[in-house]
Amino acid sequence: MGKEQSPQVNRRTTRSSSSTTPNSKATGEGSKIISNTKSLTVNDLVLSDESINLEELINSFPHRRMQILELIKLLGPLNSPMIPLFVYGGASTGKTSTVLEIFKHLNRPFIYSSCVTCYNPRILFESILNQLLLHRKNESNGYSSAKRCEKPSDFVNLLRDALSTLIDSLKGDLGKSNSKKSASQVNGKMIYLIFDNLEHVREWDKSSNMLPFLFNLYDILKMPEVGVIFISKTSLDTYHSDTGYVEPFPVYFPDYTEGDLRQIFLKNQSNPKLYSSFLDAVLGPFCRITRRVDDVTNAISPLYKKYCELLDDTGVIPNKDMKSELYRHINPYISQSLKETFHVPSQPTLEASASKDKTKRKGITKLGVSESFDKMDFHMSTCAKYLLISAFLASRNPATLDASLFDSTGGAGNQKRKRKSSGKSMEQKESKEQELLMKGPGTFPLERLLAIFQCITSVAEYSPDDEDPQIDGQGADGWDSGLMSDVLLQLSSLCSSNFITKGGSCPLEGAIRYRSAVSEDMALKVARSLKFPLSKYLYRT
Amino acid sequence: MGLKSLAEQAQILLRSRLCNPNFIFSIFSNSPDSNYSKLKYMISSSVTEACNNSVLLLGPRGCGKVPVLELVLEDLLKEYPDMISVIKLNGFLHSDHNCALKEISRQLCLEHQLLFSKMASFDDNAQFMVSMLRECGLAHKTILFILDEFDLFAQGKQLLLYSLLDAMQSVTSQAVVIGISCRLDADQLLEKRVRSRFSHRKLLFLPPSREDLQRLLEHILLLPTNSSFPHEYVAAFNDKLLKIFTDDKFKETVDSLTYCDSTVNHLLRFLFSAVSHMDLKSGLLSLENFKGALSTIQRQPKVEALKDCSILELYILVCMKRLEAKEQELRNFNSIMKEYKSIHDTFPTSDYYARNVCLRAFEHLLQRELISFEDNRGHGQSTEFRPVKLLISWPELYQGLKSYHSCPLILHKIMDREG
Repeated sequence: MGKEQSPQVNRRTTRSSSSTTPNSKATGEGSKIISNTKSLTVNDLVLSDESINLEELINSFPHRRMQILELIKLLGPLNSPMIPLFVYGGASTGKTSTVLEIFKHLNRPFIYSSCVTCYNPRILFESILNQLLLHRKNESNGYSSAKRCEKPSDFVNLLRDALSTLIDSLKGDLGKSNSKKSASQVNGKMIYLIFDNLEHVREWDKSSNMLPFLFNLYDILKMPEVGVIFISKTSLDTYHSDTGYVEPFPVYFPDYTEGDLRQIFLKNQSNPKLYSSFLDAVLGPFCRITRRVDDVTNAISPLYKKYCELLDDTGVIPNKDMKSELYRHINPYISQSLKETFHVPSQPTLEASASKDKTKRKGITKLGVSESFDKMDFHMSTCAKYLLISAFLASRNPATLDASLFDSTGGAGNQKRKRKSSGKSMEQKESKEQELLMKGPGTFPLERLLAIFQCITSVAEYSPDDEDPQIDGQGADGWDSGLMSDVLLQLSSLCSSNFITKGGSCPLEGAIRYRSAVSEDMALKVARSLKFPLSKYLYRT
Repeated sequence: MGLKSLAEQAQILLRSRLCNPNFIFSIFSNSPDSNYSKLKYMISSSVTEACNNSVLLLGPRGCGKVPVLELVLEDLLKEYPDMISVIKLNGFLHSDHNCALKEISRQLCLEHQLLFSKMASFDDNAQFMVSMLRECGLAHKTILFILDEFDLFAQGKQLLLYSLLDAMQSVTSQAVVIGISCRLDADQLLEKRVRSRFSHRKLLFLPPSREDLQRLLEHILLLPTNSSFPHEYVAAFNDKLLKIFTDDKFKETVDSLTYCDSTVNHLLRFLFSAVSHMDLKSGLLSLENFKGALSTIQRQPKVEALKDCSILELYILVCMKRLEAKEQELRNFNSIMKEYKSIHDTFPTSDYYARNVCLRAFEHLLQRELISFEDNRGHGQSTEFRPVKLLISWPELYQGLKSYHSCPLILHKIMDREG
């Protein structure tokens, strides 16, 4: 997927990859010993050895010129203090990569932590302190952090100490080596803290304390040599707080327009004219659905392969006739692809689709999708399958119908002849049923589930079952009692794998209620694999 | 070199001023009835007369409570060098009783060059604090407790407040408790026994008036004449700036800035943006800098989010609005799909997409916070069944659709019909 992907998506290099490469280049001993044993220096706080100039930076992020210049102006000249910044915008608009590349260009030291990988306060605090104290987790220290820090009060004290030592060392370096400035030397004596993915902090346990604390961190520290930058997917007004907080300065990254996307995709193409005629055909329909770069990339890259099928030589520049021919060829695949949800196919399905092409199915094969829609693609025990179907029925049908649907003979109750109802009441019934469907699956207590399960399984053993030949030999009682003991175990494993969800207990009844979480398609698949007539039991007028 | 680095130096000077609140608020310390002088008088009289005292500094965020206090402390430490020791606590960090006592002990140890042990238990710290208070009282040394975010200390059982104020009741101790809070009713939050030990002194910090604002602007932005900058440059800079201040458009800009938020912090952010965009070739600030800064600081996030939406997402929003207009109780993804289908049955278009594509667009809208789930409890149900609500108002939606560059006409028709 190399060239066609837009540069934003794979631009970010991790800190460890960029800091181990200079090590392996410098120590040419070729030792297989892990080069992590070399201790970190301040130089490792900068993104990488090579620096890029402003023109390269702007060219590598098309249509972000305004935002890049704004950020550089707000960061200001070397060693000038800064108020906290808040960079926000939709997903995959290039916020993180732009900010990191700007720091690469300016060669200033920064500490980066993402609130996705640091998913609670302790990990966040320890990650920041590790980076500041130039501590790396490795075998010798048992992969532990430099300092143990759980509470914000400890964090602020340790942070202050770590920042002052680091800033002193930066000032010392600056004084010493003013004469020889190598490219990898860090610039300036300010340190910047970058908090990425801030919107996840809202869902943390102590978020009502944590968010105002992070926003007020700059004021609490009172150190002008520190700059704070927040990156978030949502704007500042979605961060609610009881008593407010110090507001950082907002910088907005808008989504790309269709023209912007076009330019992004045309970058680094081997044959721009061909690709541009491809984009003429394809980009319009997809941009009506979404303009996110990652979604559109994943959707159109398989289409491009299809587009170039007719051409023997992909380096050719198409003329008008060729363009219209290619457009006719690709058109049906576009409408096919629009029905899917831009998912990235995993490797097995790619191979399966290749084998499907060989079998020459009639009609248009779906690109990259090969699941057969009538079979289950994972294995479940018979008892679990019956339990799942019972849960689905219990959620789907109202409780009052149980008596008529599952009578004592165990079969679907003989459909009594209904009185012919007038057209209007039929409509009302239908609309009520639709409402019930739209509201979603209902809850049921454990006893109802077990009752339905009993009814269904007592029917099943009378029907010929060619899956498990042993069952034919056993009597009805033996099968039942053998099954009952681990039904509750199966139920708990279904709950923990989220096929059935456990709700809170109703205050009146006091028992726990369950809810089925499978869709109708899934239930039909399961029923089909058991040869169970599901449709007979579903509540339908 | 020459003018460019001069402009950079000026920019660095102005930026450091803007990031240093103590400098900003030093201008308000001159007049005799300002908060600065009142606070200074109160603390110095407690120190000289060796009595206990407590005061609350209240006011909206960004009005200078902490900087004014710091200025007072600076001056007092110069006047009475050995008679004051300062303990600073913050409600975000130390609202827990254990943390607070640990921090108090740590700061006391630091100040008096004692060894602080992290392993000290809660009782040890409490005893240490009480004995320190007694010792300092005997040595005629006043301890100032500064409690930032005071309302957070008043949550829960208020143990720290009680123990502090109770310790102050004894004859031997000399302590002043200064609480800082942005809640104007912070003293109402106190328990009865705490409130009875608290002297009801309050100092109110308010956003500056128009004249004060003008003085503040001049104080911040005018370059000092006796600095290392060459005289002509300083004169040119200050002249241009004073001309801008008298310009009507500038006054309009500042007015519209202070309409929504008149605190000093808001003004500082505005000035920071203006100073950062200073033209480095000429080295002078211009009116365009200020106007540009206003537009960057006044943002309309929902309108921006609406402009970022794709056409399918706009359809979903309009369907939700129709459901609201019809006053349907059940508004979840399934009912939106039903509405979407009915729109396309009446006006057939090419924009009818499959259910899973629409679900994905629905999730994008949830991420952008243009719609949200109505309750937080329903985690058991999947996204399709949970009820949702619109987070954007009808006029905003209407305006957004009107200004959307390629909005389908159907949506305009529907919105017009709904009115």
